[in-house]
Parts: sequence; structure tokens; C-alpha cells
Amino acid sequence: MTETRATKGDFTAVVTANRHISSCFYKLILQFSEQGAQAFAQTMPGQFAQLDLSGTAPPPAERLNEQQADAVQRGIILRRPYSFCEVTTKDDKTTTVEILYCALGPASLRMTTLKPADKITVLGPLGNGFSIPQGKNTALLVIGGMGAPPIQHLAGVLSMEHSDIYPLVFAGAKTKSKLPFEGRIDEISKEIGFPIHAFARFGVESQIATDDDSAGFHGPVTQCLSQWLEENEVSAEQTIIYACGPEAMLAEVARIANAKKIDCQVSMERRMACGIGICQSCAVECRVGDSGQTEYKLCCKDGPVFDAKEVVFHLEKNGHKL
Amino acid sequence: MESNVDISVEFAGLKLANPVFTASGTCGYADELAEFTDVDSLGGFITKSITAKPRMGNPVPRIVETDSGMLNAIGLANIGLDKFIEEKLPLLQKMKPAVFVNVAGETIEEYVTVVNKLSSEQAIAGFELNISCPNVKKGGITFGTDPVQVKDITSAVKAASGQKILIVKLSPNVTDISVIARAAVEAGADALSLVNTFTAMVIDIERQRPVLANRTGGLSGPAIKPIAVYMVNKVYNEVTKETKVPILGGGGIRNASDAVEFILAGATAVAVGTWNFIIPDCAKKIIGGIEDYCRRKDVSNIKELVGAAG
Repeated sequence: MTETRATKGDFTAVVTANRHISSCFYKLILQFSEQGAQAFAQTMPGQFAQLDLSGTAPPPAERLNEQQADAVQRGIILRRPYSFCEVTTKDDKTTTVEILYCALGPASLRMTTLKPADKITVLGPLGNGFSIPQGKNTALLVIGGMGAPPIQHLAGVLSMEHSDIYPLVFAGAKTKSKLPFEGRIDEISKEIGFPIHAFARFGVESQIATDDDSAGFHGPVTQCLSQWLEENEVSAEQTIIYACGPEAMLAEVARIANAKKIDCQVSMERRMACGIGICQSCAVECRVGDSGQTEYKLCCKDGPVFDAKEVVFHLEKNGHKL
Repeated sequence: MESNVDISVEFAGLKLANPVFTASGTCGYADELAEFTDVDSLGGFITKSITAKPRMGNPVPRIVETDSGMLNAIGLANIGLDKFIEEKLPLLQKMKPAVFVNVAGETIEEYVTVVNKLSSEQAIAGFELNISCPNVKKGGITFGTDPVQVKDITSAVKAASGQKILIVKLSPNVTDISVIARAAVEAGADALSLVNTFTAMVIDIERQRPVLANRTGGLSGPAIKPIAVYMVNKVYNEVTKETKVPILGGGGIRNASDAVEFILAGATAVAVGTWNFIIPDCAKKIIGGIEDYCRRKDVSNIKELVGAAG
């Protein structure tokens, strides 16, 4: 008789590290054992988990600026959804997940106080991750700022498990210090190379783009992608684009992919309460085939990764940032 | 040490294994929570609101967290009656708890259409009439804040619901909730459910605009619990104690202690809502916790606790 393999659930995770990386960026490393280890060992890049941080203490006031101090005064009840930048398992008995986060609001600022041996409960893995269709030989991975973690996870999986696919990363940010990567970032040329250690260690090439010309290509990452596609002959059929970042960036990546008839998957972000398809908070407007009609799908359950052709991107509606 | 504690309750003539329900909109249409909890352990289950036609719901952002609570403005997004019957009813048939379908609409006729079509379905024990949704422009709360309209809609739906139990869900956004409760009871409500969410607003001070696309939303969660307890107690003492109409009480219940508070205030059964989003397994834990409380207090039958706070 075989035991039923745990696929998802609410598990206790032990913190093994939580370190400051640069500017507002931190990396939290969590370890699962037993059923949690089994469940999270199967995590696909782009899937996420709901972290319960309601019992985590806020940082001491002297470490905070005024805005942060106001933010942590607010109590939190909802869990927070995070995807992973790396997942590793030892025989399904111990699974380690790495979360790269930006400490900004009431929950993420609390998260900075977690220390090794602390325990939190984590619901997951949830949602649908990136998929890797048959017949692809080139994967273009496009990052906008905090969209980096799931793309980093994907780059690792592609390089280790899909040697037939050439992965190339385009990582964009407003400025060099807003590139959310751990490890050294080398002297950055305007060319493709190995400037980001987080990718270089897998032998994955990357190109950086910054809005302010503080590093790499000067301009939006989407322009960088466009230019690369103009200069390099790729078979549209054998190429796939994966993207995670602000919705305006995803919309532009989707437009570029569509014009070139290249498959494209985007990882969307929405405010979520439950993360499991119950609360209906995280609506993403999607096209219904070619009918001209649209419907709302749920970011948590139908996504967060969607086929770019399906999504109706909302850049700003009635002055509401989405 | 085990002792015999009876936490089964009689709810509008229906015998329930325990007094714990999951509230509409926080537990899906049927078995969505099954991956995370044992839905069959519940006393009652209330589906997400169903309307005659499918509704897309409001644009995003649809939720925002607040101190000890959250605002939602989902806008009654649902798959519509036909798809509900086709896809969800067969699943509900298999569920152990008493199932109530939450019904919403823009006109009395729309409510009646839905109830008529479901009134002979074996899978369901009854209906919860949603006349208190604060997040839609037509219907919803506009019915629930005027005693004359409450009477009209309750009697129309009661006539359409056949043998099924009719719960009327009340809005707290009124001057005197007892006036509304009395109107519903006089028009034939078999039970009352209270409270729905409180209309509220959160403003993003960077953009200087409300956070929610709908501008306002319904506040739920622990923030509203003391007000909800007060309202349950008020309606119990002023309306239902005498008329013997049971109350399904809720608003910010997180644990068994919160649930017991509502029962002591006058609720026959309790509904767990927002906390299902955070701990999908919480209702099951609450059932066990209520039993433990009864043992600790030497209460052999939970009915003794209903309204015991006076």
C-alpha cells in the first residue's frame, strides 16, 4: 500500500535564514519536512504560497522611517502571497524554498524580523506555474523589478532540466539598486553576458536594462527585448517568452510576442485574500476565445501564470492602480 | 476525559450535527474547500450568492485589508443559476451539512425566479436571502434597509420556496436592526442571519483616491465582532426570543470563544466567514472548541447557552 502523496496544504515551515540583500530587498529561506516537504518539492516556477505573518512581530521603531512606522502600526490578518526564487529538495524529506521580498508594507516589514528556528504556517503550493511546451529551443525570460523571483526559479529549472532550451534573461528596473538579486552584480556592460550571479551560476546569460542608465541597456526592458528580437533570427515557433513584472510591462511584452507570433506566458499579480479560489478578489479579465467577449478568471486559481493572448491588461482604470 | 456533550442544534425545524456554518461568499459554491478541510464536519453550508444570470462582478481592486478586518467589493460575481444547477448541485447533493443557497438579485422577480427553480431540489435545505449586499448598485442592500421592501421580498420569496427553509440575511447598515428583523419575521422568515458587512472605505493617501474600484466595500473580520454580537443580542431580545425564530449569528468569528459569544448573545447557530480565507480549516477547529467549552462549563446541551448572556 502506498501512502497518498501530499500535494498541497497548510504546513509549518522553519526559518533557516532571513537576510538583507540590498535596498529594500531581503531573502527568506524556509524549510519544510514530512508532508510539507513532499508538497513543496513539486512546486512549479510561478506557483506561490500564502504566508501567515499575523503572529510575526513588527521591527523596532528605531529601524523604521516615518512611513514604515505608520505602516507597521496597522494590524494584519490576511496571509500574503509569495512566489519563490528557488526550491530545492533532498529526497522529498526536506524541501527548502527561497523567497525574495521587498520590505514595504505592514506584512513585509514584519517579515524582516523572522529569524532562524522561527516557525510560520504556509499554505501551498498554490496556483498554476509556468509551463514548458514541447518543441521550444529558446526561452526569453523578461523581468520587471520585483517580478524577478519566479523568473529566477524558472531559469534554474530550465538550465537544470531542459538542456535543449537556450534561456536568456532580460532584467529591467528603474535603477541599478532596484535590481532584486542576491549575489554580486558585476560591472555591467550594455551587452548580453553574465552580469547577474543569480543566473550566471546556472550558466544562464542575461542583459540588464535600467530606466536611468545606471546599468546596462538604457531604457525599458521591453525595448531591450524588442531590439534583441530584431537583431537575432529566431524561429517564432521554437521560441517562448516568459514575463513577470508590472502590468504595463507585461502588456508591452504581450504585444511584442503577439506581433512576432511567439508564445508568451505572463505571471500576473492581484490583491488576494484566500489564494485558493474562494474569495473572488483577484479577478483577471480574460478573453473568451475569439468571441470578443471577456470574463474574469482568478489570479490565484486560474493563474497566476496566464497565456498572454488571453489577458486583457489593465494599466490604469479610473485612476486606480491595479 | 470524555463526557457526553450534545452540540447538535435544531434550526428552523432542521436537526443539525453542530451549530457551525460557513458563511456565503467565504466557502465557494460546494466542495472548493474540500482540499483543505473536511467540509462534511460542518453543521451548515451557505453557497456563494447565486443570481438568475451570471455576473462578472466589480473591477479590481476588489479587496483591501484594514486593522483587524478587510473590505470587499466583489459585486456578487457568480456563475449564474443554470451553471449552478448543472455543475454545483450534484456536488452539493453529496455533502453532509445542511446546504443553503444564498440568493441575490436586482428585482423581486429575479429572487423568485432563482428560488422557484431550486425549491424542489433535494440537495438543498433552504435559502439565504441576500438583501444586504453593499456592493451592487441595484438590489442588495436597497431591499434590506427598508422594512416595507423587506416584507414584500420576504413574503414573495417565502411563497416561492415551497417546503424549504428561508433565512433572511440582514444588513447592519440600518438605524434599528430590530425593525428590519421584525419585518422579515412577520413576512414569514424561518430564520434570520446577521450580520452582513458594514459599508466602509479605505483611501490610498499616495493616490488620494479610494483603494477599491467600487470606492466602498463591506467591512468584515474581527473588527466588526463586538458590533455584530450587540446586534444579535438586540434582535434576540427584541424580536426572536418571543417568536422562536432562530438566529444564525456571525461577524468576525475566528475561534470557538468568538462562536460561543454569539451563542450566548442569542444565536442558535453561528457562521464563520472571513476567517475561512485565512485558516481554511478553522470551522472544523471551532466545532471541537465549542464542545470543549461545553465540557469545561459543564453544559450537557448547547441549547442551554443560547441567549444565556441575557
